[in-house]
Amino acid sequence: MIANEIKRKIRNIVGLENAIDSTEECFGYSYDSSFVPMSPENIPDLVVIPSTTEEISAVMAIANEYGIPVTPRGTASGRTGGSIPVRGGISLALHRMTRIIEFDEGNMMITVEAGVRTIDVYNFCAEKGLFFPPDPASWKYATIGGNVGENAGGMRAVKYGVTSNYVMGLEVVLADGSIINTGGKAIKNVTGYNLTQLFTGSEGTLCVITKVLLRLILMPKVRNTLQLMFPSLDNACKTIHKMLISGVVPAAAELMDKISIQAVARHRKLEIDSSIEACVILEIDGETTAELEKQAKQIQAIANEFRVLEVRIATSQQEVDDIWAIRRGLSSAIGAMAPNRFGEDISVPRNAFPETVGLIRKIAEKYNLTIAVYGHAGDGNIHPSVLCDLSKLGEEQRVHDAVNEIFSAALSVGGTLSGEHGIGITKRPHITKALGEAGVNALKMVKQSFDPKGILNPNKIW
Amino acid sequence: MHTDIKSYFKDVEDIVSQCDRCGTCLTVCPLFGAKDMESSSARGKNNIARGLIQGVVRPSTKVLDIINFCLLCRTCVDNCPSKVKTDEAMIALRQYFADKNGSPGATYKALGALMKNRTLVKLSAGTLKILRRIGMNTVIPHGMAPREFTRKQYLASFAGPAALGSTAPLSPITLSDKSKVAYFKGCGMSMMFPDAVEGTIAILGTLTEPERIDNLCCGLPHLAHGLRTDFLEMAKQNIALFEKSDVIVSDCASCSGTLKHIAAYFADDPVWENRAAAFSQKIMGLSEYLVHVGYKAQHRVDAKLTFHEPCHLGRGQDIKSQPRQLLKATGNFIEMAGANTCCGGAGSFHMDYPDIATSILAKKRINIENSGAQIVVSECPTCLVQLNKAAAQSGGKFKVMHISQVI
Repeated sequence: MIANEIKRKIRNIVGLENAIDSTEECFGYSYDSSFVPMSPENIPDLVVIPSTTEEISAVMAIANEYGIPVTPRGTASGRTGGSIPVRGGISLALHRMTRIIEFDEGNMMITVEAGVRTIDVYNFCAEKGLFFPPDPASWKYATIGGNVGENAGGMRAVKYGVTSNYVMGLEVVLADGSIINTGGKAIKNVTGYNLTQLFTGSEGTLCVITKVLLRLILMPKVRNTLQLMFPSLDNACKTIHKMLISGVVPAAAELMDKISIQAVARHRKLEIDSSIEACVILEIDGETTAELEKQAKQIQAIANEFRVLEVRIATSQQEVDDIWAIRRGLSSAIGAMAPNRFGEDISVPRNAFPETVGLIRKIAEKYNLTIAVYGHAGDGNIHPSVLCDLSKLGEEQRVHDAVNEIFSAALSVGGTLSGEHGIGITKRPHITKALGEAGVNALKMVKQSFDPKGILNPNKIW
Repeated sequence: MHTDIKSYFKDVEDIVSQCDRCGTCLTVCPLFGAKDMESSSARGKNNIARGLIQGVVRPSTKVLDIINFCLLCRTCVDNCPSKVKTDEAMIALRQYFADKNGSPGATYKALGALMKNRTLVKLSAGTLKILRRIGMNTVIPHGMAPREFTRKQYLASFAGPAALGSTAPLSPITLSDKSKVAYFKGCGMSMMFPDAVEGTIAILGTLTEPERIDNLCCGLPHLAHGLRTDFLEMAKQNIALFEKSDVIVSDCASCSGTLKHIAAYFADDPVWENRAAAFSQKIMGLSEYLVHVGYKAQHRVDAKLTFHEPCHLGRGQDIKSQPRQLLKATGNFIEMAGANTCCGGAGSFHMDYPDIATSILAKKRINIENSGAQIVVSECPTCLVQLNKAAAQSGGKFKVMHISQVI
């Protein structure tokens, strides 16, 4: 509950219509794209929609004074409950902060407000011949602030890295309302702690990100797409690893297991040979078409070593779109296979990919569940999708146990709990297993020093 | 589709449980574009439905407001990775509230009663009286097409000398004696655009001798606002009225879209299932029918034309190329930006939420103006009402016509 007097103060800052307390409207801010069940407890007391950093600063000062929880939110496309206000209070919706502040062509950098959609950052830069590579699956609707807050990855990570590799500096509002700027345009910068990288991926628990300074690279001039079909998942992974070791680095290397492939085949009414156990979709890019052709040839030769069954090199934009439609349609195709689906996100060392998939297969067998596996094979980021029907008696517990074992499997091969979705609420129970008690304590100490009252996105990560 | 109240939640749950809550719809929903609260978006609506079913949200007038605040334009469905049918879920929930409250509310009830009554629909004087009584007179007369703007006037204004020598020959298509083509007269068309109705009849007359049947309202206004019983009752009467026709043509996108879906509402009714299915299969939108039979535009004019694609035509029936093809054959067709974006009319939405409808329409007006078109053509009376408002706001930069007045 927030007292009317406090609401009045907040409304004086952001305007009457931008601080909403109707339960029905606030309900819309109680969920995200994760499978966290709906609950009246997650409904915020107040939805605040600011338009400037100054407004956020003033709102934070009030929240800090009265100890009101504040949960920052972009477009709530997160997969782990990061933007769910589990302790009520304020949902701070940043989607109206959509200004592009500065495009610095000379330094190849761009400064944008947190609410700009990631695809809009990409498009704005692309028009000027520059490239902002991170492309999480949500990039068409997620905000850059959210992507920085979660340190989102995407399909291009194998060649171009993840969001944090492009964040040069931030403007943030701290829990007490003070505004600070971290990092900057200098490439070499060792002045003080690297707060930029600390805040990137901090899931809204340390500060509210209001502006982001991103570095850009040159846009590759040409691109093409290949589709490879393998008789075994192991061979598919080995092909990708050999490519990387040989210096043929694809811009994306997406791998799908048999369950995933057959799901797409059913969904899109395609015929896919049942002897195919794995499908790899590769994007290659470069400066000239000759260079692309050379890469494609190299890839084909390596794939042949590993008994590839089918190599398709796109010859037209239509074919490129057709191939990518298989990957992009995957999530809904898998979703259509069962009433409920738990999409997970684990990350393992690249060469542990086949071993991890093997472990997941065993878990699926043990719990009698269907688990589709796909992921970014080039960087070891795996998305197992547990398909289930929660209305069946005992199914929920089995799913829960299976997911637990999947996390243990990831840790056992030297991997980690999350590659790109963050910990949020859904992975909290596993954090100690991953970091150890002392490790979690270190996180808590960081949190304590930035947010002593614990108002920023409380009850997350641990 | 169930007709029993207890099963509404099941119908709704089957739909909304498919929502992955990703947020794709936020980028395309015209309402979210005009009012950026979560509850405006399809995701917001699907999840308040989910909250209602799970007991996290209690049914209240505020929840009903959120459910009513939807254009049913299907832009979200079209763009959704899981193709969640938000419009159908909202219609079912409106029915749930209407049954729960015993009525959908005075305005919708009055509107429903008006449109159920053939005599009232026919007598525009009577119509206007009722519209005035329920407070809609300020909106509808303003949206009416000016009387002087007829097909004849249009030809006089836009058929320049260049067009005179090239009058298209009559359509070569002759239908066999057996094909009986009937015209389905929509309420919106007859109440607000009688000249366009005459245009449609004239065009159909060049191809066949259209049967004019004294039909009832298609029932969409009833279905959309929780008067499902009325909808089903009128559907049965219409099915019976058109039983002898082979093709039923409507020049209103909402009517043809609704009538095509009637079959689905009788799918588990052993008495009506087959008759409803046969009826739905016979329905064609005007431009769909004209292209199907190879209609040739009867004149060529110099005017720059653009097309506003009604939600119930494009997304509703996948009739996208046909009206454009007809317009290309008759004038200088220009495709405008966002041609398939909802105009904000959406049945009675523009009367219930005039401010939001106006802000959605403003975007449409800018797109029309930027296209440079002299005439914006459409195939739905509600769209025409909205577009006429836009034309007035643009200070006469363009005119609005039904496709039957142009081709």
